[in-house]
Amino acid sequence: MNEKTRTRVGGPEDPREGLEAVVALRRTLEALEAAQVENAFIVGWSWAKIAEVLGVSKQAVHKKHAKRIRDKYPGESPGRKGRRE
Amino acid sequence: MIFNRFAREARACVEAAVQEARELGHDSIGDEDLLMGMLRAGEGVAAETLSSLGVTLDGAREESERMASDALSSVGISLEDIRREAGEAFDMRIPEGRRIPFSPRAKKVLEQALRQSVRLRDNRIDAEHILLGILNDEDGTAVRILGRLGVSPEMLVDQLFELRGREAG
Repeated sequence: MNEKTRTRVGGPEDPREGLEAVVALRRTLEALEAAQVENAFIVGWSWAKIAEVLGVSKQAVHKKHAKRIRDKYPGESPGRKGRRE
Repeated sequence: MIFNRFAREARACVEAAVQEARELGHDSIGDEDLLMGMLRAGEGVAAETLSSLGVTLDGAREESERMASDALSSVGISLEDIRREAGEAFDMRIPEGRRIPFSPRAKKVLEQALRQSVRLRDNRIDAEHILLGILNDEDGTAVRILGRLGVSPEMLVDQLFELRGREAG
């Protein structure tokens, strides 16, 4: 089983590809997070609710995504106080 | 920093590399981004050398993407599937406000560019010195991209000096 796992992650004969996969995945993950947060924002989820599901603080989500999304959708303000999902 | 020895052409190449990295979602500027920046800026002997051997910006981008995609496949992940499922909002581009650092490898290339310029007694750093810096790193991503496009460092160095000679003469 150990051997199988090894083969599947690239094997010791090619550690480079395995490491490059990590880099590609990290970059893809960033884009995926941005897209999913944007989708949630568009359907009216609050920052608090988005943060809760992501398992991070509201501040963290806001700091990372708010500006980009607000620039993309000026005038829209889902997530305003008192809004219910 | 060594950037003040950079002539306009080399600066244009570095700035284009930053833009290229941003658009491709590269969270650090790698030696391959310097290569693509050079193709994107399209100036000087360096760009001429690359294009005369059939290296294009689109070709380099495609190979860079394919390498990332192949690497992900090797751990069982399909970038194409993620793209398809993620919908319209999916965009690899790094937002404007976020700074993108140079990778250690790219820094080494830029230091090499300075050294190449001194070695050739050129008095300034142009894109061609950056290209020589890129080609000097045989293990670099840029050299591997070029290899996949069927061009070796030796071919490029020969062609570069040929064109340099022609320009000088």
